[in-house]
Amino acid sequence: MKKTLANIYILIIMLFLYLPIIALIVLSFNESKSMAVFTRFSLKWYEELFQSELMMRALINTFSIAIISALIATVVGTLAVLGMNSMRTKSQNALMAFNNIPLLNADIVTGIALMLFMLILKIPRGYGTILFSHATFCIPYVILSVKPRVNKRTDKLYEAALDLGATGKYAFRKVVLPELWPGIMSGFMLSFTMSVDDFIITYFTRGAGINTIATLIYSQVKVGIRPSLFALSTIIFIVALVVLVIINIRQSKADKDNKMAFNL
Amino acid sequence: MSELIRLESIVKSYEGNVVLNGIDLSVSENEFVTLLGPSGCGKTTTLRLLGGFEKPDEGRILFDGKVITDMPANQRPINTVFQNYALFPHMNVGENIAFGLRVKNKPEQYIKDKIKYALKLVNLKGFETRKVDQLSGGQQQRIAMARAVVNEPKVLLLDEPLGALDLKLRQEMEYELVRLKKELGITFIYVTHDQEEALTMSDKVVVMNEGRIQQEGTPEEIYNEPENAFVADFIGDSNIVSGRMVEDYLVKINGIDFPCIDGSEQGFKPGRKVDVVIRPEDIEIRPYGQGIFNGTIISKLFIGMHYEMLVESEDGKIEWLLQNYVQQEEGDRIGMYVKPENIQIMHKPRSEDEEAIEVDI
Repeated sequence: MKKTLANIYILIIMLFLYLPIIALIVLSFNESKSMAVFTRFSLKWYEELFQSELMMRALINTFSIAIISALIATVVGTLAVLGMNSMRTKSQNALMAFNNIPLLNADIVTGIALMLFMLILKIPRGYGTILFSHATFCIPYVILSVKPRVNKRTDKLYEAALDLGATGKYAFRKVVLPELWPGIMSGFMLSFTMSVDDFIITYFTRGAGINTIATLIYSQVKVGIRPSLFALSTIIFIVALVVLVIINIRQSKADKDNKMAFNL
Repeated sequence: MSELIRLESIVKSYEGNVVLNGIDLSVSENEFVTLLGPSGCGKTTTLRLLGGFEKPDEGRILFDGKVITDMPANQRPINTVFQNYALFPHMNVGENIAFGLRVKNKPEQYIKDKIKYALKLVNLKGFETRKVDQLSGGQQQRIAMARAVVNEPKVLLLDEPLGALDLKLRQEMEYELVRLKKELGITFIYVTHDQEEALTMSDKVVVMNEGRIQQEGTPEEIYNEPENAFVADFIGDSNIVSGRMVEDYLVKINGIDFPCIDGSEQGFKPGRKVDVVIRPEDIEIRPYGQGIFNGTIISKLFIGMHYEMLVESEDGKIEWLLQNYVQQEEGDRIGMYVKPENIQIMHKPRSEDEEAIEVDI
């Protein structure tokens, strides 16, 4: 009895979470424009989506910005972690506190601040400024996911490599980097999804005439939503889902490796 | 045996804490030297200085007559077996062992042969392709040894290599290490806080405390002739009591005269206050009144090989720790006798720090 109730409870929660998304996905395959009746299965909204230059450009912008900004954030974040590692614990803790502030800070504040910054410096807003902003707000996430991988254990491995005659560079490449790799990868994936997902910061840092999917949908809401946007949203959801699944698999694998390493 | 390594008045401190305070040490070729001491005594730091991972603030390190104080770790003809082994987790056993050889660009065939040789040496034939995390603690320990010795170092540094193993395995590995040392014919410098490991394996034991060398000598010397209360207390169980030299070869402890074998010749002049060490197994039980001193048994513990007893002196001022195969009952009054050669006279510590080391019986 108790068990059934518990299961029903979970089911209700899941329905609340996923029913709207399922509705969206179903409607994206609906032939009619109606949001109430499902007439017939059709891919015509997907067709419209891929034929609309506006939407395609937004799609390309979104993903190219996501990939490039995630790459930049990953490199900068990883280097930051390595730099922090040679600092004293006190300074490291202070830096980590500063690192965590942007994570908790409201996007709207970050967005307006970045916009203001660009206005003051008279930087013309466009693709580049979005890229810069995304890389900026992704760096703390990379630091957060790489930092735990750099610890006493990696220090010891590095020393062991030096002890066996390796140069610092060789030791880093052959011994330390493989240890950090799972953290670097999840940092990259996290940055990528954060970037794809972002609306507010993009909205404030983009220039006229440039759209990502998020800003495009926002502007379309005003003139009335076409079901091709459902199709677009479905694609984004699927991409995010795939990336998240990959991150989770990596994480659980890394955890398992870690556990083994600590159990020795 | 010729001298291979020499540490000269090494001083090292971290953020104002003095970790090593004037270390002078000489290690001969083919010697098994153990640095022994409680945690924080500076033994690991000494090892890290030798490995090249730290630089001393003062003093210098000589290797084969040449100063290597500033030589980086990757150029020293010294290899280390790290505490917790530090095996490379993403490489298999063979790749781990080959690491040092690959760095030196040795030919692949040579590397292959070396891996085989090393695995045979540590009794893990055929383990080449095993993953590191599939190995037990003892096996990892052996691989760490193998990885170090394929580089044919002149000196192997071992940082508490048996610390993570259980008692039985540890005892097995002690024999293994001694055998390896003989087969390789190289110098071992071993760090541990375990006095048993130190006494079993070493040619020379260096007892350290608070950044200083307290005593160095053969295991027998360290055990039988501790130079101060710290060494006596750290190595084995002991009774450490205050005494005063009455005359040559006679020391007074708690009002009772004990014949001993030390006198002015050893620097213990009559009238001088001294510390006296008597090992619990050296106190012989005699019928009441027939020994040198008497006491009452206040507690008794059976600890496998023998009984351990606490005996209170008749005036109640001293508790003696005894180990004996003969069982006595609590409350028994007994006589006790100690052979003169089993009474070890030591100088009183100079610094107040050392005086603070209380002896728990």
